[in-house]
Amino acid sequence: MEEIVTRLKDAVINYEMETIADLAKQVVDQGVDPLVAIEQGLAEGIKTVGERFGKGEIFLPELVMGAEAMKAALAVLEPAVPQGQHRATLGKVVIGTVQDDIHEIGKNLVSTMLSSNGFEVVDLGVNVPAADFLKKAGELKANILAMSALMTTTMPRMGEIITPLKKDNPSVKTLIGGAPVTDVYAKEIGADEYSGDASGAVDSAKNLVG
Amino acid sequence: MRGIRFQILSKEDLDRIHWGTLHILEKVGVQVDSPTCRKLLNENGCEIDEKKRSAKIPSHLVEEAIRKKKSTITLAGRNPKYDARLDLKHSHMCANGNGAVAVDFDTGERRNSTKKDLIDSTTICDALPNVHVHWPMVSSTDMPPSVVHLHDLEASLNHTEKHVMYETGVTLEDAKNLTAMGYAAAGGEKEYRRRPITSCLQCTYAPLQHDAGVMDASLEFARSGVPLVFFCMPQPGATGPASLVGSVVVGNAEVLSALVMTQLSTPGAAVIYGLGIAPLDMRTTVRAGGSPEHAICSAMGTEMAHYYGMPSCVGVSGTAKEPGIQAAIETYTGCVGPLLAGADLMCGIGLLEDSSCLHLEQVVIDDEIVGAIARLIRGEWACDDTMALDIIEKVGIGNNYLAQKHTMQFLRTDHFMPSLMSRESEDNWSKTGKKTVKDTAREKVKKILAEHKVPSLPDDANRELTAIIDKVKKPLWGGESKVQ
Ligand code: B12
Repeated sequence: MEEIVTRLKDAVINYEMETIADLAKQVVDQGVDPLVAIEQGLAEGIKTVGERFGKGEIFLPELVMGAEAMKAALAVLEPAVPQGQHRATLGKVVIGTVQDDIHEIGKNLVSTMLSSNGFEVVDLGVNVPAADFLKKAGELKANILAMSALMTTTMPRMGEIITPLKKDNPSVKTLIGGAPVTDVYAKEIGADEYSGDASGAVDSAKNLVG
Repeated sequence: MRGIRFQILSKEDLDRIHWGTLHILEKVGVQVDSPTCRKLLNENGCEIDEKKRSAKIPSHLVEEAIRKKKSTITLAGRNPKYDARLDLKHSHMCANGNGAVAVDFDTGERRNSTKKDLIDSTTICDALPNVHVHWPMVSSTDMPPSVVHLHDLEASLNHTEKHVMYETGVTLEDAKNLTAMGYAAAGGEKEYRRRPITSCLQCTYAPLQHDAGVMDASLEFARSGVPLVFFCMPQPGATGPASLVGSVVVGNAEVLSALVMTQLSTPGAAVIYGLGIAPLDMRTTVRAGGSPEHAICSAMGTEMAHYYGMPSCVGVSGTAKEPGIQAAIETYTGCVGPLLAGADLMCGIGLLEDSSCLHLEQVVIDDEIVGAIARLIRGEWACDDTMALDIIEKVGIGNNYLAQKHTMQFLRTDHFMPSLMSRESEDNWSKTGKKTVKDTAREKVKKILAEHKVPSLPDDANRELTAIIDKVKKPLWGGESKVQ
């Protein structure tokens, strides 16, 4: 592997959020294949960071800084990828917190964990209407639609999304979570996977695309 | 409960936090999602950015709101003997509320909570001496989704005579319905305004945001005479600065800006200063509601509240998964700090998994822990009766005090009598089955549920409550799916 690709990987592992963009520019200037830089540099780096977090070796802020570093470099490298080529990811996840619910911390963590484990994640934010979930899942050709609900009053919104999705877009798999959600409830509303925490969410997502 | 006080923040610290907060409110401002509230702030001289939905709040508005607020707020009980007078001098305990899961008392199964769980836990709270204010502990998830919160309130009002605080007034419509139920239970609006038997806890949205529904509902509650708690919850390191004092500044800005909106809309409205700053555990990402940091922040929040002359509402919410050693450490740590600082209303009895899961045993165990703390912080004083010079003289040298009337008198007031912990001899403890605290807690739960009777509301009040619930209930197929 080119030395600069290794440096890119290390920059993610060392959370070099401020300087990694410059390094990414050098990668492009030196004519290194941006896809190689993404897959063997950034993706490998964030994988290491994610594994360390999973093992309890590092803390959440470190995971988030690693993810930020990756994002900063991606912003430079992705536009340089030749037309028609795509970086290999485990799949595309569209995620959000359902309508009338503004709890976002859990959802954000799940997003971070998924993206640091090789998924491409599109975050729709909080208080997302059912129609937006359905529209984006179709438009973006998502593999997985992930929903978070933290309140008993908003949990039913997930079922109201899953039912039409199954009908109109049956290839999209659903993954749900949030403190009041249980396994039994997930089965009842027809969700494909449920997970009680962010590391579990990664396993669940892998099951869905695997 | 009467607190002996310790102090964390000095007068200078309190001033600095206050001025720092005013600076943030003027310079950064807060996001106000409700157009009604933005209009209100705009009319009163705040700088509004409609695109960002933000408002910069000048200091004089904050000072004015602080002047208009109430310092003594009585959370009235259906039975006046349970009135909780928050007067900055006495501490009161409140149940923890709105969990969505419960561990079944009979089967041990962890499942979504039901109205029966709510009724049982309410009855237990009614019976316990150290729970002064009630909060519907779990959601009735077996009821139709559109009226879960109304069933929660109905069951609470019927199964305790203590004051009921809820936190489910999330939209204007919710506020109207919950208020109407409070009026019905109190015997009319006039009676309710004199003695509000319900109140609503509202969360602000860290960092520096106010949800539209929550604020619209809050203004409605204020207009209707329903006491409010504005409860800020920055999580140090995640939605607030990792330094605890930094998160107190963020939370303080949220509470004060909510106070400004409320006092502009209804001058003199009853507002309690709420603060629940608990860090996210940065290894597991669970909110550490039973941590010493949470306790210290709640103590600082209480000091801020008292600096403004407002009663405080703070909480403890252990992350243990079952009643036992961890849960006890968490309740104890979480309560003792804030109560020593003079917290006016301390929530947190009985839920585990950070305010998510009900265990009936935990409700009575927490009551016992609070009983011990209440003794710890009561305060001691030297007067003729406590010094007991006459008795000391009477008993003289070398004799004992067992046969003195003074002994019986002070046994009742000065000695904490545990109801769950074992103080018997090892011999006796072995013979009676080596019961753990959880065992005795189970016995106490069974006894209360079998014996404790709470008078329900009058029939006509209950007819009104049912009518409100029926009116609000949406048909299941009107776009609704089931919760459970
Ligand atoms: C912090 C918090 C808030 C903050 C949220 C801040 C933010 N920026 O997100 C604030 C203060 C704003 C808030 C507001 C309210 N809250 Co709140 N809040 C909480 C609290 C204490 C912690 C939530 C949290 O962040 N936990 C930490 C994260 C990391 O955990 P998590 O969210 O559970 O996520 C993990 C898993 O669940 C899972 N997961 C989550 N999402 C997903 C999605 C997928 C796809 C997967 C696979 C997994 C997954 O993975 C995550 C990481 O491990 C909970 C209690 C609790 N312990 O859950 C109450 C709680 C959720 N809130 C509650 C309530 C009632 C409210 C309010 C209505 C109060 C009010 N009257 O104002 C408002 C809501 C307004 C609205 N319209 O939404 C209740 C809900 C009650 C019920 N029975 O439904 C709870 C349970 C507290 C309680 N017991 O009363 N809240």
